[in-house]
Amino acid sequence: MPIWAERIVQTLKESDISLVTYVPDINIHQATQLVNADPYFHLVSASREEEAIGIAAGGYAAGRNSAVFMQSSGFGNCLNAIGSLCLPHRIPLPFFINLRGGVGEFNIAQVPLGRGTKPILDVLGIPHFTLTNEDEVESVVKGAIKLCYASRSIVGICLTAQLHGGKRA
Amino acid sequence: MRRQDATKLLLSYLGEQPIVSNLGPTTDELWHLGDRSRNFYTYGGMGLCSSIALGVALSTNEKVVSLDGDGSLLMNLGTLGTIGREQPANLVVVVWDNEQWSQTGHQPSHTATGTDLEGVARSCNIPKSTTVSTEEELETVFKEALASDGPWFIVAKIEDVEPLPVSPIEPEVNLHTFRQSFTGPPVRLGQ
Repeated sequence: MPIWAERIVQTLKESDISLVTYVPDINIHQATQLVNADPYFHLVSASREEEAIGIAAGGYAAGRNSAVFMQSSGFGNCLNAIGSLCLPHRIPLPFFINLRGGVGEFNIAQVPLGRGTKPILDVLGIPHFTLTNEDEVESVVKGAIKLCYASRSIVGICLTAQLHGGKRA
Repeated sequence: MRRQDATKLLLSYLGEQPIVSNLGPTTDELWHLGDRSRNFYTYGGMGLCSSIALGVALSTNEKVVSLDGDGSLLMNLGTLGTIGREQPANLVVVVWDNEQWSQTGHQPSHTATGTDLEGVARSCNIPKSTTVSTEEELETVFKEALASDGPWFIVAKIEDVEPLPVSPIEPEVNLHTFRQSFTGPPVRLGQ
């Protein structure tokens, strides 16, 4: 299993995050299958990204720290869940977003939201960090989650093809 | 059946069990009829009421009640599939079904034109699904839902009546109060 995935999952545990909701993605699968195999976590497969956010928000509201995994295309599905649920209630959720549309992308349909995800996060005032190197995963993810809870805000943690190799055509 | 009367009826059977309420009149009326720390009021996030309730149900052993609406649930029918997949025994979903989007001009919703939400829930592996149209029927099934394992899915047909005034809820304060009812007060920064 890749070290970046192991480090993300270990950091979730160290942050008392035990509810993970997601919509599948081939690269994120390397992390979510580790989550699924560990009885510490409850992994919930949602039908759509905004639903994943709703479930994670409910978990947080009931005192259980939660995280969401999605692909950048799915980030486009969930803007109102962010704008009218997470931000007004100040629900701190780390979003792990696999950014498509970067180096090695083969699918033109993945490019606009892959490139647009970070500018959209900026417009909404949501801090985000981009992982391109395995060595930075532990410190950046740990720091991003600390910021997430301290500021009671969503934080975007963007995964890239440079980190995990991307999806092959 | 009027939603205000039906909400009062449900509250009369609830102690400290958490409630998640749908945006708009459902949230407003719950606040007017029985504001409590165990109410999570949504003011936006249309379609996510029962998804939020599922997240609460997966994080507590208490019975959790979702007060959803037909127009909102139609926006996120996939969550019934997720509830059917997760099978939370402690989740009770009540859908106030007035067969319209009342807040936007009373346009008929899909439940007015043939969509059967109970049937959708059954086909999503939620066999304890039912439809009620009187307070007596609602009372009977809600008592059973509180006393036995679910997930439960109850479509409650309601009249279109003037809602109570908009409630003065601060979402941030609501989340804080609701969460602390589970965790107790924070003991460290950022908790």
